Amino acid sequence: MRAVMILLLAGLVSACSHPRQEVTGQLTHQVLLPAHQQWHDSNAALLVATQGYCASELDLAALKQSFYRSLQGWAHLQPLMIGPLAEGNRSWQVQFWPDKRNLVARQVEALLDAASSLDQQALENGSVVVQGLSAFEYVVFDDSVDLEKQSERYCPLLTGIARHQVALSAQVLSLWEGPDGMTAMLTTFPNARFANVDEALGSILRTQITAVDTLKKKLGVPMGRLNKGVPQPWQAEAWRSQHSISNLQASLSGARAVWERVRSLVGDTQLVTRIDAAYENTAQKLAGLSEPLVLLVQHKDNQLRLQSLYDSLDNLETLQQIELARDLGIQLGFNANDGD
Amino acid sequence: MTLTRRHLLGMGAALGGAAVLGGWALWQGRGGPSPLLLSARNDEAGQHYCAGYFLDGRRAFATPVAERCHDVALHPILPLALFVGRRPSRESYLIDLRDGRVLQTLQSQPQRHFYGHGVFHKEGDWLYATENDLDEPGRGVLGRYRLNRNTLELIHDGEVPTHGVGPHQLAWMPDGESLVVANGGIRTEGSREKKNLDSMAPSLVVMDRHGELHSKETLRHQQSSIRHLAVADDGTVITGQQFQGEAWESVPLLAVKRPDQPYQPFPVSASQLAMMDQYTASIAIHSQRRQVAMTAPRGNRFFVWDLDSAETLVDVPMADCAGVGVVGDGFAVTSGQGRCRYFGYRDGQVTSHWLDLPAGWWDNHLRLR
Repeated sequence: MRAVMILLLAGLVSACSHPRQEVTGQLTHQVLLPAHQQWHDSNAALLVATQGYCASELDLAALKQSFYRSLQGWAHLQPLMIGPLAEGNRSWQVQFWPDKRNLVARQVEALLDAASSLDQQALENGSVVVQGLSAFEYVVFDDSVDLEKQSERYCPLLTGIARHQVALSAQVLSLWEGPDGMTAMLTTFPNARFANVDEALGSILRTQITAVDTLKKKLGVPMGRLNKGVPQPWQAEAWRSQHSISNLQASLSGARAVWERVRSLVGDTQLVTRIDAAYENTAQKLAGLSEPLVLLVQHKDNQLRLQSLYDSLDNLETLQQIELARDLGIQLGFNANDGD
Repeated sequence: MTLTRRHLLGMGAALGGAAVLGGWALWQGRGGPSPLLLSARNDEAGQHYCAGYFLDGRRAFATPVAERCHDVALHPILPLALFVGRRPSRESYLIDLRDGRVLQTLQSQPQRHFYGHGVFHKEGDWLYATENDLDEPGRGVLGRYRLNRNTLELIHDGEVPTHGVGPHQLAWMPDGESLVVANGGIRTEGSREKKNLDSMAPSLVVMDRHGELHSKETLRHQQSSIRHLAVADDGTVITGQQFQGEAWESVPLLAVKRPDQPYQPFPVSASQLAMMDQYTASIAIHSQRRQVAMTAPRGNRFFVWDLDSAETLVDVPMADCAGVGVVGDGFAVTSGQGRCRYFGYRDGQVTSHWLDLPAGWWDNHLRLR
């Protein structure tokens, strides 16, 4: 029996004129929820495109375009994925990165070898490694796969992944809706999740700042920062589709969307100017990279430019993690990052 | 055994801490019906504290200390507690619970550091703490300390092996003489850096307090670091693990050792496991209600299950939930980020309310008195 929760709540719901409540409400309705909806819409479009391709009604280029949109939607969402998508290992079902041991390729082939024709249930029961966009990307972009000639082998998997993404994003959206949904938790206080608006705003900022830290990893890992400076191009995110830079841009835009709403709460005008400049600087550096990351890291000539981008992200993270958190009086970390 | 105030006074007198006694009686009166919650805590500037708050929100003390502490070892009789230094701390603090005064800064032995957990023996003369042998990094030892009754000082009086690597939490079995120890299995060398993730050796050990091994059991997943535990009145032990393997793998994170039965996973659903983010922090057992509670700070989730049927009683989000302890019919839960809460479960219903304690910065364990 599912327990019924009775909350003995103290205090009254704050008036909507509270600036933090207004900003958190704007973030919820104008940034977080729309990003989840767009991600779901791009997944629905990917399913239609996959079915069209597998029925020979669409060409491979159209399928790739649809995949890019899903990937972009996911990358934009990462700094905004507070709540359901961040919980229960759901995000692993969308993307498997980093893939240090080429598990995506190995597990996809093993899964397909094990069954003459893959059905949806087999995919649902399988590893998260084969359920997401990373596996989809392997099939569509890897040199070892001739999708046009082997569509019978791979189409059930592609369709299965697209279905899985639609179902997953629909499930996440449903967890945002209703009286106990994430939207309500972020806008009406106190509630079962947050005692007050500061806790909710703090959670949004933690998610966003963690994502900026992840951007550093997505750049730093292929650069070889954890590998004594030896580049690891095939550790780049989305290296097969050569979409790493676009992903970084999409994630940065998601993070920036949070900042754009939060900045009105910041008392220190100089800090506002510095964070604005840090976003602009990082965006410009990303825009200046015309080649895919998988290629850029392989040439020493690019090292300075990549290092400069990394430093820019690092500066952005520090400004938000330390100075912004201090200005807003919001606590960003304790046991979850540093426990025992 | 239920201790009455008359018992306490008598036992205190037997211990000879005359100076303590009057204060103890006075202090008991100050708390009234509200229990005292003891926990290590930080502030936003990063200062570490040994903190004591009555559950109704009144501050008993917040004593600044040099090193961050982890668990609190309560003296069974006297108003004393050792706030144990968190790995790889070289200091622990013996605190007078009446006023928060540091009675002693207990230094670790040379080539040893504290692992964050310790317990007083039921008669109050001995303290046992899990420690790391830095001459043979990771080798677990149980440091033994005698409490000087007159000076109220802990004096190192030897050590015995924990029969495993990287011991973390320990607790008394119902006989009050044998200890169950969670050997986390991770080798560290005076730091928090994990040196042996490919060759970890976690184990759950039951040993007597003099070092004799009674049992040593392991789990199937060698990268499941056994870290936290609680013991029910009937001797049922629940442990919480921290999985050091791949973040996306599904591996049991709770295990149970029931009397006369082998140590084995405690059955929770795959979706609950996924919610824990491979990390469990604090466990408490309500023996009367046969309920076990657990915090998962990385997953921002708090759980209560029926100890016998494993039925889920509470499964709720709670940001950076940290320490948990039994209070009345339920559990008090602290948080590293938000407000502390009370959760209870009775007749199919969860009750919850926020506690009037400072929000955030609470460490992963709490003790109630």
